[in-house]
Amino acid sequence: MSTKTIGQEFIKGLWDENPVFRQLLGLCPTLAVTGAVINGLAMGLATTFVLIFSSLVVSSIKKLIPSQVRIASYIIIIATFVTVADRFLAAFFPPISKNLGPYVPLIVVNCIILGRQEAFSSKNTVWRSLIDALGMSAGFVLAMLVLSAIREILGAGTFLGYQVMGAWFEPWIIMILPPGAFITLGILLALALHIEHRTKSRK
Amino acid sequence: MTNNAFILQSSPHFKDKDSVPKIMYAVIASLVPAVAASLYFFRFRALVLLVSCVATCLVTEALFLWLRRKPLHSLFDGSAVITGLLLAMTLPPSLSVELAIIGAVMAIAIGKQVFGGLGYNIFNPALVGRAFLQTAFPVAMTTWIPPATLKIQTATFATPLGNLRFEDAIARGTLTPLKDLFTGNVGGCLGETSSFALILGGLYLLSRRVIDWRIPLGILLSLTAFTGAFWLANPEKYASPLFHILAGGLLIGAFFMATDMVTSPITPLGTWIYALGIGIVIGLIRLFGGFAEGVMYSILFMNAFVPLLNRYTRPRILGEGRKA
Amino acid sequence: MKLSVRMVVVLTSIGLLSGSFLATVGHLTKERIALNKQREIEEAIIQVIPGTVSTQKLYEERDLSVYGGKDEQGTVIGFAIHASGIGFQDRITLMLGTNTSLERTNRLAILDQKETPGLGAKITDAESFLQYWENRDCSGAISLRKPAARSAEELLPSEINTITGATISSEAVLGIVNSSLEHTRRLLKEGKLSSEAQDVN
Repeated sequence: MSTKTIGQEFIKGLWDENPVFRQLLGLCPTLAVTGAVINGLAMGLATTFVLIFSSLVVSSIKKLIPSQVRIASYIIIIATFVTVADRFLAAFFPPISKNLGPYVPLIVVNCIILGRQEAFSSKNTVWRSLIDALGMSAGFVLAMLVLSAIREILGAGTFLGYQVMGAWFEPWIIMILPPGAFITLGILLALALHIEHRTKSRK
Repeated sequence: MTNNAFILQSSPHFKDKDSVPKIMYAVIASLVPAVAASLYFFRFRALVLLVSCVATCLVTEALFLWLRRKPLHSLFDGSAVITGLLLAMTLPPSLSVELAIIGAVMAIAIGKQVFGGLGYNIFNPALVGRAFLQTAFPVAMTTWIPPATLKIQTATFATPLGNLRFEDAIARGTLTPLKDLFTGNVGGCLGETSSFALILGGLYLLSRRVIDWRIPLGILLSLTAFTGAFWLANPEKYASPLFHILAGGLLIGAFFMATDMVTSPITPLGTWIYALGIGIVIGLIRLFGGFAEGVMYSILFMNAFVPLLNRYTRPRILGEGRKA
Repeated sequence: MKLSVRMVVVLTSIGLLSGSFLATVGHLTKERIALNKQREIEEAIIQVIPGTVSTQKLYEERDLSVYGGKDEQGTVIGFAIHASGIGFQDRITLMLGTNTSLERTNRLAILDQKETPGLGAKITDAESFLQYWENRDCSGAISLRKPAARSAEELLPSEINTITGATISSEAVLGIVNSSLEHTRRLLKEGKLSSEAQDVN
C-alpha cells in the first residue's frame, strides 16, 4: 500500500517516476509516433484512456483475481480497452488512425500500462489507482508532447501543422524519421539525468 | 624523493616516438593534395566549406571539453581538425554554410563526444556528421554543381556514379571517362573527385606507416572482385572495377575514413574481415541499393562490427586452450 | 472454491465480459469505419476520373482492384485502377484513372506513401510528377524520361518525366502502374470488367 498523499501520488508521475524519462517504459510508441505533435498527442490520449480504465477495473476486482492468472486477466482487460480506443479512432478520426497505424493496437504491450497494474492497481484502492493512472498518463503525455514538439519543429518547421519557423529555415528531415527519434530521446534522457544529479547534489 | 634509476609502472614499457598529435598531423599533411585539388576545382565554395567545418569542429570540441570539465589542451591534438577537414571533403560544393555547420556540430557532438571523446567513439565522427546531413537534408546533399574548370553553366550536374546508376550512362554512352575521374574534372563531393590527389596522400600515409595497409588493400580487393564479377558477366550493364575504384568516395574512404585508428579493428585478421566487408557492402549498395554511392554507409556499417571483430579475432595467449 | 476452479471461472468471466463489451463496440462502429473507407476510395475515384457521379467495384484481388466511374446516365466513363507495390521506403498505394479502352490515362493519385520527404515524396506533388500522368498514351507500357526533360512538351505521348534526385521512387510508381495496367487489360479481354455481369451477382 502506498503511503503518499493524494497530491504526491499524482505528482510523482510527472517527474520522479515519469514513465518515459525516469522509468524508460513505453519507449516503442514514444519513438515511433512522435514525428508530429498531433500523432504524439493522439497516442498520449489513447494511452491515457486505456491506462485509466484498466487501472479502474483492475483495482476494483483485484481481490477476485487469483494471483496465478493475474497477468492473463490484466492483459484481457487492457486489450479490451485498447480495441475500444482503436475502433473509436478508426470510426471518428480516420486520418489519425491511419497515421498511428499498428501503434494503437500495440498499446496492449506498452509496459507502462501492464506495469502500473502489476505495481500499483493490484495493491491499492480504486481512488488511489485512478490518481496514479492520471499522474502516469499526464507524465506520458508530457513526454510525448516534448518529444514530438522538438521533432516536428526541427523536422518540418511546424507545430501542430502551423508554420512556426521562418522561410529561411530548412527542415531537418532526419528529425521526423526514426533516427531523429533516437537522437532526440537520447538527448532528453541525458538532460533528465543531468537535472536529477543536480537536484540530488543540492540536497 | 624521486628515484630516476627505476621506474615502476605497468606495461607498456617501450614507448614509441609516435604520439596522438604526431599521427594526427601526419594525416593532416596527407590531406594537403586533396585539399589543394578541391580548392582548384571548386574555388571559393571549397574554401568556405573547409574553413567553416574545421572552425565549427574546433569550437564544438572546446565547448564539450569545457562542459565535461576536461583539459582543453586535447583540443590541439589535431583530431577535431581532421574531423572538420574530412567532413568538408565529403560535402557537395553547393551546400550552404549553415548546413555544413550543423553537420560539423553533429560530427563532434553525436559522433564523438557523447561516447566519451577521442578513442571511445564507435563510428567515424566525420561520417556520422555526413550521415546526419544526408538524412536531414537529402535534397541539398544530392545536388551537385560542375567543377569550375569545366566552364559550363548548369544548375545541376550528375556525379559519375549518379549518371551510371540512374541515367543509364552505359547504354547511352555517357559514362564518365576514366581520365577525368583520375584528375578530378568531374562533379562530386569537394575532396573525392581527384583520384590522383587522394592516391598521393594515401601513399604518404602508407609510407609513414600511419595507416594499416590491409584496410585500403582489402577494400580495393573485395570491391574489384565484386564489381569485376558482374562486369565480366555483363559489361553492357555494369561498369568496370576500375571505374568503381576511381569514381565517388571510394579512395577517400579507403585511405582516410576506414583507416581511422579508433574505429577500425586492432587484430590483423579482424582488419582483413573489416576491409573486405566494406568493399563488398559498397559494391552491393552501388549495384543494387537505393543510392548511387555507398562508401559512407558501408564504412559506418562495418564500424559497428569493430568491437565484435576485436573480440573474436583476439590472438590466443600461448598455451591457452581453444575454448578458453 | 478450489483454486483451479476459481482460476477458470475468473478468466472465463473476464473473457466473456470483455468479449460482449467488444462485440457491442464493434457493432456500433462497424458501419462508420466501413463508410470512412468507402468514402476515401470514392473521393480518389472522382479525382482520377473527372465527371464521375457514382462508382462501382468491378474487380478485386490482393494489391489490385478496379472500379468503374459512372456518369449521370449510369454508363461507365472510365476505369479507376487501385493498386499498390513496393516503393523506395515502404509500400506505395495509388489510383490511376483511364478511359474505358485502357488506352489513355486520365489522372494519377497517390493515396499512401512513405517516401523520403522532399525527395521521393514528390510523387504526390502535382507540379513535379502527377501532371505528367494526365492524358498519356497507355496502350503499351509507359516509360520514364531519364534524365528528366525540361518541359512536358518534350515528352513522347507515352513518356513520364522523372523526379530529379528521386529516380527510384519514380520508377517504383511506374512499375506499379505498368504491371497493374497490363493486368487490367487482361481482365478486360477476359470480359471480367463488365458492369452488367457484376449487377447480376
